[in-house]
Amino acid sequence: MGISLMYYLLVSGGLFALGLAGVLIRRNMLLLLLAVELMLNGANVALIGFSRHWDVTDGQIFALVVMVVAAAEVVIGLGLIVAVYRQRIVLDVDELDQLKG
Amino acid sequence: MNIAALPMMILIATAVVALVPSLAPPGRVRHLGPPLVSIVGLVAAAGMSVLLWGDRQYTFYGAFRTDRLTVLMTLIFIASALVTVLMSLREPATVDRRGEYYSLLVAAVVGMVLVAGTGDLIGVFLGIEILSVALYVLCAMEVWRARSLEAGLKYLIVGAVGSALLLYGLTFVFGATGSVSLEEISDIVRVRGLGGEPLLMGGMALVIAGLGFKASAAPFHMWVPDVYEGAPTPITAFMATAVKAAAIVAFLRVFSGALIDVVDDWQMPLAVIAALAIIAGNVGALVQQSFKRMMAYSSIAQAGYLLIGVATGTLLGVRSLLYYLIAYTAMTLGAFILVAIREREVEDGQSIASLAGYGRRSPLHGVVVTVCLFALAGFPPLSGFIGKFMLFGAAVEADLTWLAVVGAVGSAVSVAYYLRPIFVLWGEDPEPGNARTFDPGDGLWVASVLAGLGVVVTSILASPLLDYCREAAQALIAP
Repeated sequence: MGISLMYYLLVSGGLFALGLAGVLIRRNMLLLLLAVELMLNGANVALIGFSRHWDVTDGQIFALVVMVVAAAEVVIGLGLIVAVYRQRIVLDVDELDQLKG
Repeated sequence: MNIAALPMMILIATAVVALVPSLAPPGRVRHLGPPLVSIVGLVAAAGMSVLLWGDRQYTFYGAFRTDRLTVLMTLIFIASALVTVLMSLREPATVDRRGEYYSLLVAAVVGMVLVAGTGDLIGVFLGIEILSVALYVLCAMEVWRARSLEAGLKYLIVGAVGSALLLYGLTFVFGATGSVSLEEISDIVRVRGLGGEPLLMGGMALVIAGLGFKASAAPFHMWVPDVYEGAPTPITAFMATAVKAAAIVAFLRVFSGALIDVVDDWQMPLAVIAALAIIAGNVGALVQQSFKRMMAYSSIAQAGYLLIGVATGTLLGVRSLLYYLIAYTAMTLGAFILVAIREREVEDGQSIASLAGYGRRSPLHGVVVTVCLFALAGFPPLSGFIGKFMLFGAAVEADLTWLAVVGAVGSAVSVAYYLRPIFVLWGEDPEPGNARTFDPGDGLWVASVLAGLGVVVTSILASPLLDYCREAAQALIAP
């Protein structure tokens, strides 16, 4: 017997909600990336929990794939942030307003 | 081992090989090598796909399925990518990073093909992410232009949130059924009767939101006008056609394919989203002064029309959707090609005003765009009309008459903004000596002709095309 599914889902839901709140509240680009990572990892915890609950390995493989994807996404994000910084545009998303209409 | 995944393998190889010529010293090889490799690879993959038209084949232990839907979608993606390659030949974004540009473009197509043929939930997420990550970079490719960077960053943030929502939704679908295989999920849902199950309902809601972001359906469309306006125009055209098609086929694979037995649970939310997209897109497009931005709003509305086909959940709906998707790809590419041309010829080439009198100076482009815009507005006998007519008919048959009415009214409103550029195009030229800054190049001529031919051919050959679309829809829905 291990930890019951409910605890996995509680932790996962908490992480995901924290991430979502972070995306909505935070204005700094780096922290936005961080918040998105929290959301993805929240999903990972749920995947592992469900995987144990159903006693299949599908969820664990899915979680591994998600980790790779999350890493790729952060690399792109950081690259873009460096490019923006070189152009001396501020990193506050509210200041990104050249495109509107 | 069978060859069913060969088109995808060819595309992966193309994405890698396209990088090689850009290592050559500056000159012809470096300049023309990457686009040439991309064109050859894309055509080879398309030819291979055509040969695979037939019954379903499995590869990678069922993780990838090649059926008629996979083949049809692969051809749409490749057609869109080919036109994008031709449009990009002289694009400023590609000047000193040609290898990366074309390699990423083909990599995005790989992700799309994976989505179209995926046999499990992992493939849905992985494919969507491969194409998204490639496009984040492509949007920001003009790093010296603040608008392009801003578009890339906005797309990255919104896209990442969309992906996270999609992933959490897929997690819940897995949690409710205990399997990631789409075919097993379909069986489990039918046998256990999971209709109304809270975990599955929550999962479906999150998947709809996540894919809604990718398909740019309202209320997840706020990013679309900004990103579409800021990105390099060929990439915008690619996003409006192929990326939307990929998100739509993900909807089809997950909902119309695996979750068809709980159609009552997801039909209404999808119908509402389709209606919202039609309203938001058409209303937003009415007031735009920029042609590129108007096309962005138009593509939101078109996503709404396409989602009608998903929301019906019937064979007829999917068939009409697939036909409309083919037609939509041709007409939207044609409209964006004009933006790409004018952008290079004059300052402020994105605005509708800059089109003034262009039709008389360059009749070929003028005629192509006029045909495309008429088709988008849904004038008979063009393909846009046939597709919309069938989509609305399918909606009525699926007891979604209100949705068909919303679509028809939205379509009537859209005539107003689609006709405005046409009037300007064929009107008086205010300043005849409009200075040219760049030569658009031959690639755009070819692309323009291809898009125009696409619209005409999809209109004339509607009935054989519809037969193919029906077979593809059967591969999805019939067991």
